[in-house]
Amino acid sequence: MCAAPIGTLQDQQQLMESLGYTPLEGRRDESVTADGSIASEWQPLFESVGRHGSGVLMDWRNVATRISRERGLAYRPASLEESDSAEGWTLDPIPWLYSPKNWEPLEDGISQRTRLYEMILRDAYGEQRMLREKLIPAEILLGHPGFIRPLHDLTPGESVVGLGISAFDVARDASGQPFIVNDRFDHPFGLGLALENRTVVNKVLPRLFRRCGVRRVGQFFTDWFSYLSRRAQSGGDNPLVVIVDSSEEDEDSEISFLANYCGILRVHPADLTVRKGRVWIKALSRLIPVDVIWKTMPGGEIDSLERDVRGRPGVAGLFEVMRIGGVTLASHPGSEVLQSPGFYPFLPKLCRELLGEELKIPPVASWWCGSPTALSHVLANLPSMVIKSVGAHSEFSTLYGRRLSAEQLEDLKATILANPSGYIGQEEIQISTIPTSRGESLVPRGAVLRMFSYFDSDHGPSVMPGGLGRVSTADGVVVSTREEGDSKDVWICSSETPEPFSIATVVDTSLPAAPYIVPSRTGENLYWTGRYAERAQFVAKFASRIIDGRTRGFSHDEAFEQQHEDLLMRALYDVFEFTPKAAQGDPLGDLLHDPLCTVGIPYNLQRFHHAAQVTRESWSPASIMAIETCYESWGKMTKGSESHFEFGAELDGLQLNLSAFLGLNLDSMTRDEGWALLDIGRRIERGTLISGLLSFLLKSGAEGDMSSLLNESILYILDSVRTYQRRFHKTPNTPMTMLLLLGEPDYPRSLHHLLDRLLDIGSKLPNASQQEHPLEFLKPMSARLESFVGPFIAEVEAGLFKQEEVQQLLTELNDTLIELSDYLTVTYFNHAKSR
Amino acid sequence: MKEYRYRVRHLTTYQYGGRIDICHSIAHLSPREDDRQNVLSHRVDVTPTPFFRVDRQDYWHNGTLYFEIQGSHDRLEVLSTLTVEKQVGDPVLPLSEEAWDDKKQKLRPGDHDEAGVYFANFLLPTRTCPFVDGIDEFLKPSLSPGKDSMTLVSELMTRVYEEFAYVPGATDTTTPLVELMKLKKGVCQDFAHVMIAALRRVGIPARYVSGYLETLPPPGQEKLQGADATHAWIEAYSRKTGWLAFDPTNNRIPSHQHIKIAHGRDYFDVQPLKGLFVGSGGQVLTVEVDVERF
Repeated sequence: MCAAPIGTLQDQQQLMESLGYTPLEGRRDESVTADGSIASEWQPLFESVGRHGSGVLMDWRNVATRISRERGLAYRPASLEESDSAEGWTLDPIPWLYSPKNWEPLEDGISQRTRLYEMILRDAYGEQRMLREKLIPAEILLGHPGFIRPLHDLTPGESVVGLGISAFDVARDASGQPFIVNDRFDHPFGLGLALENRTVVNKVLPRLFRRCGVRRVGQFFTDWFSYLSRRAQSGGDNPLVVIVDSSEEDEDSEISFLANYCGILRVHPADLTVRKGRVWIKALSRLIPVDVIWKTMPGGEIDSLERDVRGRPGVAGLFEVMRIGGVTLASHPGSEVLQSPGFYPFLPKLCRELLGEELKIPPVASWWCGSPTALSHVLANLPSMVIKSVGAHSEFSTLYGRRLSAEQLEDLKATILANPSGYIGQEEIQISTIPTSRGESLVPRGAVLRMFSYFDSDHGPSVMPGGLGRVSTADGVVVSTREEGDSKDVWICSSETPEPFSIATVVDTSLPAAPYIVPSRTGENLYWTGRYAERAQFVAKFASRIIDGRTRGFSHDEAFEQQHEDLLMRALYDVFEFTPKAAQGDPLGDLLHDPLCTVGIPYNLQRFHHAAQVTRESWSPASIMAIETCYESWGKMTKGSESHFEFGAELDGLQLNLSAFLGLNLDSMTRDEGWALLDIGRRIERGTLISGLLSFLLKSGAEGDMSSLLNESILYILDSVRTYQRRFHKTPNTPMTMLLLLGEPDYPRSLHHLLDRLLDIGSKLPNASQQEHPLEFLKPMSARLESFVGPFIAEVEAGLFKQEEVQQLLTELNDTLIELSDYLTVTYFNHAKSR
Repeated sequence: MKEYRYRVRHLTTYQYGGRIDICHSIAHLSPREDDRQNVLSHRVDVTPTPFFRVDRQDYWHNGTLYFEIQGSHDRLEVLSTLTVEKQVGDPVLPLSEEAWDDKKQKLRPGDHDEAGVYFANFLLPTRTCPFVDGIDEFLKPSLSPGKDSMTLVSELMTRVYEEFAYVPGATDTTTPLVELMKLKKGVCQDFAHVMIAALRRVGIPARYVSGYLETLPPPGQEKLQGADATHAWIEAYSRKTGWLAFDPTNNRIPSHQHIKIAHGRDYFDVQPLKGLFVGSGGQVLTVEVDVERF
């Protein structure tokens, strides 16, 4: 379905010229053929850019950025392989185009390589023919930290999964010959990013996408999921498959995208426990057995009992469960050893011996320095070599001889000579370039294609028709996940009608829906998301009120205004039982800027953001935007400023976003246990804040004008000024404030209403065995309030206000809410921690 | 050849500061069989009773016990009782008849011992026994050319014994080797690690051994209960001799008084008991070992 060629060779060259696209001297460019014409698969792209003018490149990039943001795909690669740049790996919407003719040999080669590495893996954790027949030096396998000895009895095959999703970095040299420059097993990076890129680019260039007849990737995931389900040894026809990932909780990782796309529940190792030969999810108040684990964390770390590294979270006893067939884990947790570059020099031989075939895509020419002849070759050609460690790739950065000074080369030589068997030398290849957008022009950039595949033990290897393209930002040739660069979507053009699967649709019905399970840890964080969202809003209201007083004033003299402000600060401290630092500086400044001040905005926003990040999968893209916007404004606040006044607008914006976040969730979340905990968190927080503030009002001893102003401020802080005015048409006074915020049954901001709602939502929570249901807990308080309110309203209307009784009731209410919170923690959250 | 029979009682107790609800553990407590040691009996009793336990062999063919304890508890007891028969002659040092620096004779990582275990396991550095500068310095005075490799091992054993002070508490299992080489003090595990790193550095396969040592009371005194201890020493390999044991803590070629439990690359392969528990509070660990002849 590729478009008709664009005229003559001359036309094509003119088009390239008009776009300023010139291949680099002496380098192969994938989009230009030997005779200087545009390769047919690239023609639709050039034609499209040509038609719109190269200014469109900038537009496309902007659209891509906007879509990424709207969909909550603001991927930050900092999590990956130690890159400290948050800007790297941004998406270049110009796709990498492959014709079927160019793609098929790669697919075929990767297919073979997947089979080969599956056999190597089976042998490594099986009979070790490789060592017996000396097909590889023993230190390559046994000296690698990714060779996990406790797995010696977990040979992939019948009941143990071998290669799960694996990644292969493919590059072409000047002759067009493809090479593999890296293999990544165990938990390769980039699959989620590739999916994100597809989602975005498909939206930026929908017509081009159709014209090119791009092969869809959905089927690959459907097949992968069905393979995982088939390999389940438990769970019958409907096994529970989860993704286990140990990323830092607030890390914005590609895994959440992957999990959402595939409809798989993502859990953290801390959400899992091993008991009686099974793995279980610690869900709210109960345990749910897991049948299949797709892990996206290092296999060597996943069993915290059998690993020899400390610290990071893992699941104690997991390998033991695998041994008795209680769980299926993919990839095989010992597969990291396969990515040792030490295999490269021996790969052609391994392929002949283990598969009886010639290797279709060779590795880059490589020499293992443990052999004396290879060593002297490497040392003699060091300036043109790439030196890699055969050990863990995190422990030694690949070095490019070409980039080193004479002195550095000497150092490298000494390093190699001290432990020759620890290194290999590789020829450096001149990787080919592809068109990449830079501002308003197309430029050639060195490119590496990351392809993905897995080994299905029933049907053999499966290769994803697409991948992750990566190009260098500068005109260098080096492309590594550790260095900055752009990423690209990869389009395999086809002349056939594309398969019906489409990632473009929001819901991919070919994949299962994520199972309805709320892990306890998620539940707890949802609860705290609700609490901190309310608390941040409350504190922001306080700050707004104080700023209002300082800027506009409340029509009183200066001393009076100051007294009022002091009273408000005391109210805030009182509600949170907070003892301020000895008087120094401006307390408002602390509220606005001090990240350590627990009653301040930065502190509470940060807690909110953290809890919301941990529960990322629960939020809609719009909610994520609201969360991020709140967080950005926090960033501004902590930076500090000379004047507080300009914060007025910032605070309004912050409150708007917090309200948007809470409102959006009311609209978009299903009314499940998770939602119930979020909402209960909000209401418990609000209840304690209201009862605390009303208590303060009673004991403040403010009289006359001060009492009126304090009442007004409290109504303002609790967002009830308008309602009060409509309802009472009076200067604010304490009995009326109490009437509205304590007794009014139909006012959503009253304690009375709030308690009713809590009872209502509480019914969504599961029954915890041997524990009283939270509803039971609240009922007596609710009854007490009910019987109090009737007479109370009558009394206030009759001009009678029994302050002590009200104070007593507020205290009881506050205590009940605090007890309820503790009770939820014990029943639903802590139960999991102690398992 | 003399025969000795031993009974060993090894009790490990964890007293926790708070209640523990679940615990997963792996134990390396079963004695190994070899041509110097017959195992007559062995059992491990765990209190509270595990609701799940599996006996298997690890990569090194050491007996390995996995168990899970569920249910609130504040004390864990693991009692291992075993009886073995040792058949040993007088300890004399056999020679390898190979010079340590004879490049042609060197064992390669791809060669293996009689049990089929590749020497790469015992020649390459590990996290616990890395090649560090202190090791080269320590080796230097003993590396005279042409020395028999087993003579070298024996000399290094004596030098560890003489140059390192036995000071319980000076180190723990996380003290890095480089630190140890500066401190020059430690306990049996540390001395074993120093020797292992040194031997691997010069290309002699070396492995870590865990076990028990019979101690005899001073003449005329009765032996105290629980006075014995878990112990660690090493084994080094040559073609001629096979695996030979050396005890740097006591500067001795182990004989009947050393009862072997397990071997591996270093301590972390054969930790007698390792466990992860979920709960709060600290823990107090006590270990009692009794070795008696019968």
